[in-house]
Amino acid sequence: MTHTATEFRTDLKPVWCPGCGDFAVLNSVHRALAAAGCAPHETILVSGIGCSSRLPGYVETYGLNSLHGRALPIATGAKLAAPRMTVVAVGGDGDGLAIGGNHFLHASRRNVDIAYFMMDNEIYGLTKGQAGPTTPTGDRTKSTTYGNPDPSIDPCALAIACGASWVGRGFSGDVKGTTELMTRAIQHHGFAFLNILSPCVTWRGEEQHKEIRAKTRPVPAGHDATSREAAMRFTDEGEHVTTGVLYEVQRPTLLDELSDIERRARGNGPPPSRADFLGAFVL
Amino acid sequence: MSEDVTFSIAGSGGDGAVVAGDLAAMACAAVGLHVIKTEAYGPQIRGGESSSTVRISPVPIAAQGDASDALIVFRFADFARFRSEMPLAEGCIVLHEPDDAPPPELAAYRCVPVPFGQLAKDAGAPGAKNIVALGLLAAMFALPVDSIRTAMRKRFRKRDASIIDANFRALDIGFSFPSPRLRGEAKSEGQPRLLMSGNEATAFAALHAGCSFFAGYPITPSTEILQLLGEWLPKIGGTCLQTEDELAAIGAVVGGSFAGSKAMTATSGPGLSLMSEMLGLSSIAEIPSVVVNVQRGGPSTGIPTKSEQSDLFHAIYGGHGDMPRVVLGCSDVEDAFHTTVDAFNIAEEFQLPVIVLSDQLIAQRRETIDAASLIHDVVQRRVPQAPDESYRRYAMTEDGVSPMTVPGIAGGMYQTNGLEHDEQGRPSSMFITHERMNAKRHRKLDAIAEKYPLFRRFGAAVAEVGILCWGSAAGPVAEAIEAMNAKGARVAAFVPRILAPLPLQELQTFIDSCERIVIIELSFEQQFHRYLRSLITLPGDTRVHARSGGKALSVTEVIEAAAVLEEVTA
Repeated sequence: MTHTATEFRTDLKPVWCPGCGDFAVLNSVHRALAAAGCAPHETILVSGIGCSSRLPGYVETYGLNSLHGRALPIATGAKLAAPRMTVVAVGGDGDGLAIGGNHFLHASRRNVDIAYFMMDNEIYGLTKGQAGPTTPTGDRTKSTTYGNPDPSIDPCALAIACGASWVGRGFSGDVKGTTELMTRAIQHHGFAFLNILSPCVTWRGEEQHKEIRAKTRPVPAGHDATSREAAMRFTDEGEHVTTGVLYEVQRPTLLDELSDIERRARGNGPPPSRADFLGAFVL
Repeated sequence: MSEDVTFSIAGSGGDGAVVAGDLAAMACAAVGLHVIKTEAYGPQIRGGESSSTVRISPVPIAAQGDASDALIVFRFADFARFRSEMPLAEGCIVLHEPDDAPPPELAAYRCVPVPFGQLAKDAGAPGAKNIVALGLLAAMFALPVDSIRTAMRKRFRKRDASIIDANFRALDIGFSFPSPRLRGEAKSEGQPRLLMSGNEATAFAALHAGCSFFAGYPITPSTEILQLLGEWLPKIGGTCLQTEDELAAIGAVVGGSFAGSKAMTATSGPGLSLMSEMLGLSSIAEIPSVVVNVQRGGPSTGIPTKSEQSDLFHAIYGGHGDMPRVVLGCSDVEDAFHTTVDAFNIAEEFQLPVIVLSDQLIAQRRETIDAASLIHDVVQRRVPQAPDESYRRYAMTEDGVSPMTVPGIAGGMYQTNGLEHDEQGRPSSMFITHERMNAKRHRKLDAIAEKYPLFRRFGAAVAEVGILCWGSAAGPVAEAIEAMNAKGARVAAFVPRILAPLPLQELQTFIDSCERIVIIELSFEQQFHRYLRSLITLPGDTRVHARSGGKALSVTEVIEAAAVLEEVTA
């Protein structure tokens, strides 16, 4: 049974500012879940804390808006406990790269079978305008009066380096393109990371949307998405920002590995009894 | 000499002090004796000093021995590191290498040189001086030698037959070496008993309770739980995940539980500190979680390899906000099993975080228990299978528990969060919602206090001295009470197994039934005492015996703290 995008909508009104890129992202999430063939009751959305992490509240699935930085471990636990469910983690750049950076590394490395959508606005919005890990060097924000001293991270470069098996970049202003990328990410077998440039009209200015639109260009035809080297060429680009599927390979997921472990642990004999477990404690 | 004996072996890592203790303990358990075996190590990863103490008795015992009747020392320099925690009984026999002279302070004991290393070489097993020592101990204490051979065969099953034979020769040489006979043949040869550690009992309890998801990060002294469940859970179709840190471990547990599994993590103090924020989410979003915290010396890194009862405040009060949670404390290895199953039952029924406080003394000592005692009723989560349009995840109920759907159930979808929320789970910053929801969540504690007033009470029915303690202190307290009451004193103890919410009514009844109250704990700050004071009126003459952990509480210490025998004999 297929479900429509409308079935994934809730009647809760988002808290986001008018003009926020996250509205478009939310629209894409509704469409992508339908397009990927997900059922509302067999889907779990997990987020951290931040403007964008409010998103699960606006999607009719099982949803958990959790703690700052912890969406990925929670999503990992949910997927391992209920492998039949589609599990999607969402959040912002500060949530995923600063406070939750360690989990990003390990979810990528483990290739846990979930999709992770990062709404990247280059700023901490909910706390009203401080520099984040993707804020460009030198930018003046409310916490960097004299300019941001830190180099910014390209989340896609990090994901590729850490072992994610699917890495893409989208722009919230392109709902159709983002929906397609999300659909592919959800359907990918393994950890699929999608960085979505999602402007913050309030703290990055009205112009951010236009600037991103001017900078984006689709991944060129003939790009070899199975090559790490080729994919890395579309990270930290400077003048341009490339959207599309940057990297896509197939390798065993965490669930594949755990299934294999289970098969080896069980062997061919009957299921173990209490006595089998207690046998180690008697002579 | 008593049938109840204690011996210790100390040496450098690689000397096999711990292996010899294991073999003796396992062999005695197999013939139905009661055993408690402890180990101690220096901080080194490999090498360094290690020791093992084994207490053996024909009747049930509750504490590791106060003092050793015999001591084997492979190197006095190593023993020196354990000296302050390893009291020797009057007349203790100290067996040592001839070329390693005992320090002057040991002159008060019977020091006997034994060329362990040379005897092992004579046996053709140069590394087996620990087995030579085991042979000597077997002769001195009339340990079951056949059973020791069986234990050795099991332990060394992957070794060449020639090596095992050489070890058997080492055992025989030790057995035949002239030594004093300190104990007659064991009288009680009953059913073989299980020899388990608290961590092993905890891991087995998780299986028993139906836990199918475990996530954890290695930390002393809880790591064995992660290791065992990593081996066991895949055999029954469950999952064990070693995470990148404790933040992820408790996160994965909350995620796994949200998705419908009974889920647990295990850690020690530093890990519990990191988990505090997520336990708040488990509490406000009402997602069941079980955390086993095996206490060690603190704060910070403290003493990772030794026991203390100083995480009580953190377990009960740790975290921000008004955060209902349950804290249980286990008092011995068997109780670690029951307490862990209770933790799952309470977490699943009442949808909140439950912390089990174990400690290194329980977690890493091996103790004999009856397999038949490892039975405990198991409770399941209330999950509505066919929720209708009116389903509200946080519906107001009398006991505060709202039915919880899990992913996969059609029509049961809900969106929740760590924000304050209404009955549907929708975020709310309104005072009235916060007040009502706080009240709902805290009502669960009243229901739990009523349904699970878990405590142990032992000793005299009407007592002149009532001891209040918790956790591993209960073992020495129980033995001390037995000893004091045997001499005509009337002492009793009350040991809460549920520390929060505390069984106040039962505690008050106990206090009222005693003439005097003595509180005993291994916390320098007197955390248990101060916690009790915050909830109940203690008599003005209440005495407190509280000190740092790092050394096990002894029976003698409890008897002195109770200070009742003087009055009896006066």
